[in-house]
Amino acid sequence: MAILKAENLEKTYRVGKVDVPALRGVSLNVEAGEFVAVMGPSGCGKSTMLHLLGGLLTPTKGRIVIDGEDLTAATDAKRTDIRRRKIGFVFQRFNLFPTLTADGNLRLAERIHGNGAGDPQRRREILGLLRLEDKMHHKPLELSGGEQQRVALARAVITQPALVLADEPTGNLDSENSAIVLNMFQELNRRFNQTIIMITHNPEAAAACGRVIQMRDGHIVVT
Amino acid sequence: MKVFDSLVASNIRQRPMRSAISVVGVALGVALVMLFTGLTRGMSNDLQRRSTNVRGNIIFTRKGSISIMSSATNLSTKYLERLQQIDGVEAATPIIRYVYASGGIGFDQVEGVEWDNFARMNDVHIIQGRGPQANDEVVIDETKAARKHPVGSTLKIFGEKLYKVVGIYSPEAGGARAKLTLASLQETLEAPGKCTYILIKTKESADPVSVAKRIDHELPGNNVQFTRDVFASVESSIPSLGIFLRVLVALAAIVSALVVMLAMHTTITERTREIGILKAMGASRAYIVGEIEREALLISAMGLLAGFAVALGAGFVIHKSTSLIFEYGWRWALAAAAIGLIGGALGALYPAMRAANLDPVNALAYE
Repeated sequence: MAILKAENLEKTYRVGKVDVPALRGVSLNVEAGEFVAVMGPSGCGKSTMLHLLGGLLTPTKGRIVIDGEDLTAATDAKRTDIRRRKIGFVFQRFNLFPTLTADGNLRLAERIHGNGAGDPQRRREILGLLRLEDKMHHKPLELSGGEQQRVALARAVITQPALVLADEPTGNLDSENSAIVLNMFQELNRRFNQTIIMITHNPEAAAACGRVIQMRDGHIVVT
Repeated sequence: MKVFDSLVASNIRQRPMRSAISVVGVALGVALVMLFTGLTRGMSNDLQRRSTNVRGNIIFTRKGSISIMSSATNLSTKYLERLQQIDGVEAATPIIRYVYASGGIGFDQVEGVEWDNFARMNDVHIIQGRGPQANDEVVIDETKAARKHPVGSTLKIFGEKLYKVVGIYSPEAGGARAKLTLASLQETLEAPGKCTYILIKTKESADPVSVAKRIDHELPGNNVQFTRDVFASVESSIPSLGIFLRVLVALAAIVSALVVMLAMHTTITERTREIGILKAMGASRAYIVGEIEREALLISAMGLLAGFAVALGAGFVIHKSTSLIFEYGWRWALAAAAIGLIGGALGALYPAMRAANLDPVNALAYE
């Protein structure tokens, strides 16, 4: 079953009086449980595509359906709601709330998702899988980069999203921590059948994925 | 600690100086409202309390010679004899009321009376010492005596002039807490044969309204008022005081709103990236506005408590060091609370709306 369908996506930015095309007709299907890497040179449209798939941007043309819901036909409020229920983001710069502990960051995600205290069983499993049980009362600045990214990953998946979108999650990590984080992405994918789309420049990271999409000049060239 | 691990509480703790400045801003507005209204109410109630002890029920003056903050000494004491002959009048006594800058905060007042007549008419007794006789002698009430003015001490009136305290009287009666002889004030004010008003006590069998009408008929062109009306509430007797208090309240609300707005505006700018993260996590506009409003309300609530504490403390200290009296009422306390909270909530509304409308991609890219 396709968890994501993107048809003929185009995105053009207006810079001053000039139109700058970032995506020039991208189509993509991702099945539930797939772990997909997106690679390509800088400026090829990877991040734009990820932001479109996550509903952070609206396409100039085309259609995106996530888990049966049409993201492109939705209003801004509806798109936010779909994002809340169906999508988890992981960023290169972790993007944790610095004033909250790791536990506070997770609870915030649960509060926004609206499932209160969340599912204690899933929480235990995820924290165990990501080896975060003894880190929950630390603030981000008290954690290493790898630990921060594991907290960010936990935050993205704690609400059981249909799709996790990761934008160069190992980009700010050393090779040892990159390997740990990648391993955890794989574990999440295997254990929870979590669908993941991950942008990366790192061929080793891409090798950990089940499928690699190559992009160039706003097109998908290998799918 | 779940409560302290919320975004709202942690943001307040993370920026203690800004939070403290915001709290002080709200507290200032609340304290100002409480102190001004408390002072007005306190002085008004005190004046009314003392006026109830005045047994003379009619005041005879020249037109416009008495107001709360001033009085004139322009009534001839020759009226006394004619007033005493009017049917229904039991007793009449001339009084000079003089209002002067106290040298401290605000104004003070002193009265010149024919002590024996005044005391007899109003059932006032000397409880220590004796009545004033010489021009440099003064009697005071118990409240003034309690402020380190025992019998035998001296009291500065009119700035530097020293008067000897010769007696303490009770109960407190009239507008002034210090009373000289009528002759003393006439001499000081260079107004021989003059007074501010003549206090009249009607016979128990007479109807005061009829007596007042007779006085007005016999001595036309003067002012005949009932004592209870002259010593009415300060708020209603000073023109526009009510408007002034309401303007003060509005200004306090604006100050609170501006302080919170500036604080929240700066905070939002600093937290642009965090708002981007919230949006990426699926936080709705209402959720983001709600979080910022909750933070503003928490700051306002802290400012409210601080404002009440400052008002109570400052009122106590000012009362101890001056003759000013503060009485706080629930109505104004609720108004002050509303000002603090509504001002804070309104002040945060614009920054909150701005945050809620941020573009998530730009916000996430914010450095």
